[in-house]
Amino acid sequence: MNLPELAFVALAAVAVVTALLALLVRELVHTIMWVAVFFVDLAAIYFLLEAPFLGVLQLGVYAGAVTVLLLFGIMVTRKRIFSREAATGIGPASIALGLLAFVFVVTAIAEYPTAPQAVNVYAPAALSADLFGPHGPWLLLLGIVMLTSVVGAIYLVREGREA
Amino acid sequence: MTALPPAAFLALSGALLGVGIFGLLSRRNFVLLLVAIEIAMNAAILNFVYFAAFATNPVVGLSGQSIAVVVVGFAATEVAVGLAIVLALNRSQGTIDVRRATELKE
Repeated sequence: MNLPELAFVALAAVAVVTALLALLVRELVHTIMWVAVFFVDLAAIYFLLEAPFLGVLQLGVYAGAVTVLLLFGIMVTRKRIFSREAATGIGPASIALGLLAFVFVVTAIAEYPTAPQAVNVYAPAALSADLFGPHGPWLLLLGIVMLTSVVGAIYLVREGREA
Repeated sequence: MTALPPAAFLALSGALLGVGIFGLLSRRNFVLLLVAIEIAMNAAILNFVYFAAFATNPVVGLSGQSIAVVVVGFAATEVAVGLAIVLALNRSQGTIDVRRATELKE
């Protein structure tokens, strides 16, 4: 078993464990922290699978935007987000797991350019040519859905709406 | 890294899907339900990515990655709408416990 396979097995274990922890911990803020680790871990798997653009997209959209959105959702619906439970220490096991995930992210990214299976066709330029060429209608549909969902979200949360 | 059988990857995404469904069924906080849906959706995206990585035809591989990009966009949209529902629920019920969201039933 060589290094990428070992990295995949470890990343898969971290993914399952963090996904479980995110749903099992009692404190909601800890849920968001665990799910952020889960998203970064999946980004490392994408790097390992020769999809660098998707890895970066995962880091930006999921580990960045979705995590902050979920945190925002907790902040506006709870009165005491920085309560006693939220201020307790994270613990050595979670710190060790986070460090392990970090080490394997670095390993995966460092491994990528020299991987023997790295094909040039998976370069982001080829991906964008495919994305805006044959899959253009899907992107158009995504844009329409996003616009509709923004309108729907504004309708749901607008001021003065009867409950 | 083609030495690993596809069953290993399918096992991972299957496990993630199982965790997501478990969360959907067991938790009652709306934000936690959103987290569970995201975990399950990431399992689906993972499937697209690694079948793209193991495609013998490069065009097929690129198609898998393109569809994965589109699905990431749809998932982000879904979180935005879900949070709007959370805010509306919090305003109308005073809580985001889904057991209390029985207004349509009555």
